[in-house]
Amino acid sequence: MPSSPAEVRMIDLLFWAPVMAGGALAGASSGMLGTFIVGMRIPFLGVCVAHAALAGAVFGSLAGLAGPQLLLPALAGAMVTSLSLGLLNPGHARLDDNTVLSALFSATMGLAFLGIGLHGRYGQSDHDVRSLLWGSLNFCRWRDVWLMLAATAALLIYVVAFFKELRAILFSRPLAEASGIRATAVWTGFLVLTAVTLTVNLQTVGGLMIYALINNPAAAAFQLVRGCRRALLWSAGLGAFSGLGGFLLAALTDLPSGAVIVLVSSALLGLATLLRHR
Amino acid sequence: MSPAIEIHNLLVTGTDRCRLDVADFRAEPGTLLALMGPNGAGKTTLLHACLGLATVARGTVRVLGTQVETLSAADRARLRRRIGYVPQILSARGELPLTVREVVAIGRTARAGCGRRLTREDWQTVDRWIDQLGLSSLAHHSFGEISGGEQRKTILARAMAQEPELLLLDEPTAHLDLGWRERIVETIDTLHSQTRLGVILVCHELEVLPVACRHVVLLNQGRVAANGTPESVLTSQSVSALYGARFQAVHQHGRHAVIPGGGAHD
Repeated sequence: MPSSPAEVRMIDLLFWAPVMAGGALAGASSGMLGTFIVGMRIPFLGVCVAHAALAGAVFGSLAGLAGPQLLLPALAGAMVTSLSLGLLNPGHARLDDNTVLSALFSATMGLAFLGIGLHGRYGQSDHDVRSLLWGSLNFCRWRDVWLMLAATAALLIYVVAFFKELRAILFSRPLAEASGIRATAVWTGFLVLTAVTLTVNLQTVGGLMIYALINNPAAAAFQLVRGCRRALLWSAGLGAFSGLGGFLLAALTDLPSGAVIVLVSSALLGLATLLRHR
Repeated sequence: MSPAIEIHNLLVTGTDRCRLDVADFRAEPGTLLALMGPNGAGKTTLLHACLGLATVARGTVRVLGTQVETLSAADRARLRRRIGYVPQILSARGELPLTVREVVAIGRTARAGCGRRLTREDWQTVDRWIDQLGLSSLAHHSFGEISGGEQRKTILARAMAQEPELLLLDEPTAHLDLGWRERIVETIDTLHSQTRLGVILVCHELEVLPVACRHVVLLNQGRVAANGTPESVLTSQSVSALYGARFQAVHQHGRHAVIPGGGAHD
């Protein structure tokens, strides 16, 4: 038993350390993704991939998988959505990316809720898959953090390796293609890593928080800095700040951590917009 | 030396609005050729066919000695690296944080190789073209914050930073005021005289033809309607017939213009 208040604080800190690390990592990786996703004006991708992962997990659960095993079908669902969007040629398809995302979102959400309904019919518990929708940051453990760290590292390596190609795609995918850049291959690779990162983050922060962490830090960075590299760094930094700062603020005020993280990221965007227009 | 572009018996049916049916088309290396015609005549589609962006139903398209329609995706990308392309419509995402220098650097991206960083030489080329097109003071400004004319120059600098063997310009003066239009025309003229680069210039207005342009191809409803010097192709009769209104074509000191309602005779 801890004998002093300092010892109690240390035990608290050790207990909450993976939660703080998870929040910061989810924010940083989502912020990094957001630079390109918001720049391409497809912020809805985050919600869409999250629901596709949820649909995959739901059917994985129906097939008898549970706990960490659900990650594989969730990843498969997210991959199918990302690949569909990545391989779609904007020059040939007569559909805007956001229209495709809306169609994919409605289809995957329909599948997810169909699967959840089937759980009741077959008398199975849907607790594991429901927690994916909302996330459970306070239950994040070191095992989850290592997984998130691996996904973030893979994303970082890819972004550094293909930074100049991603920058060209961000400016204009058709122009990048016309300049001899393998835009479809590079963009599809990025979307695959988006699927991996978001699926791994999903179990910790949930689908709704992912949306905020993709959109708000990147949009705030775009308000504050010039240059793609700087925007990427600022977006990742503001994302990490939202995740970590939001959690600490929630702990201090005894408020729900997910809601506070979302509100902190929204406040950062509001502040950045005010600063830009001063 | 093989022609910059050589087209035989080409049929493109990919788009609803524009069907391109060109029996013969040839652009010699180093020439500045203007491709003119009404909206939907097939000008942009012809450029897309040269870039391997259009689906060819029949015929052959050879660009810089390479047959385009049979190329694999990798070979098509290699060919596109040799062609500088300035599109008709620019990215309208004004919120993007990309600077002018970063946009021009896109021209070096494919040449540097996938997954490789831009070298010091690449950045020197980028800065040289920024300087040459008078954009130095804007190099670190956001692309979305500069004027439409400056954006056009930036896209032109991006194409030139690619060190292309052929330049395809699709309405580079669209939506610009008279001053910027003339500055872009002068820039194209200077670029051509300095580099002797083959240039295909798609435009609507006769005023946009630079002095160096001595070859005009007129497209109408996907077919070549006329081919020759600006003075022989762009007569008052042909322009009036093509656009369905009365125009008088004026040719003076190597430049060209139309006067609306000016009668149907030279």
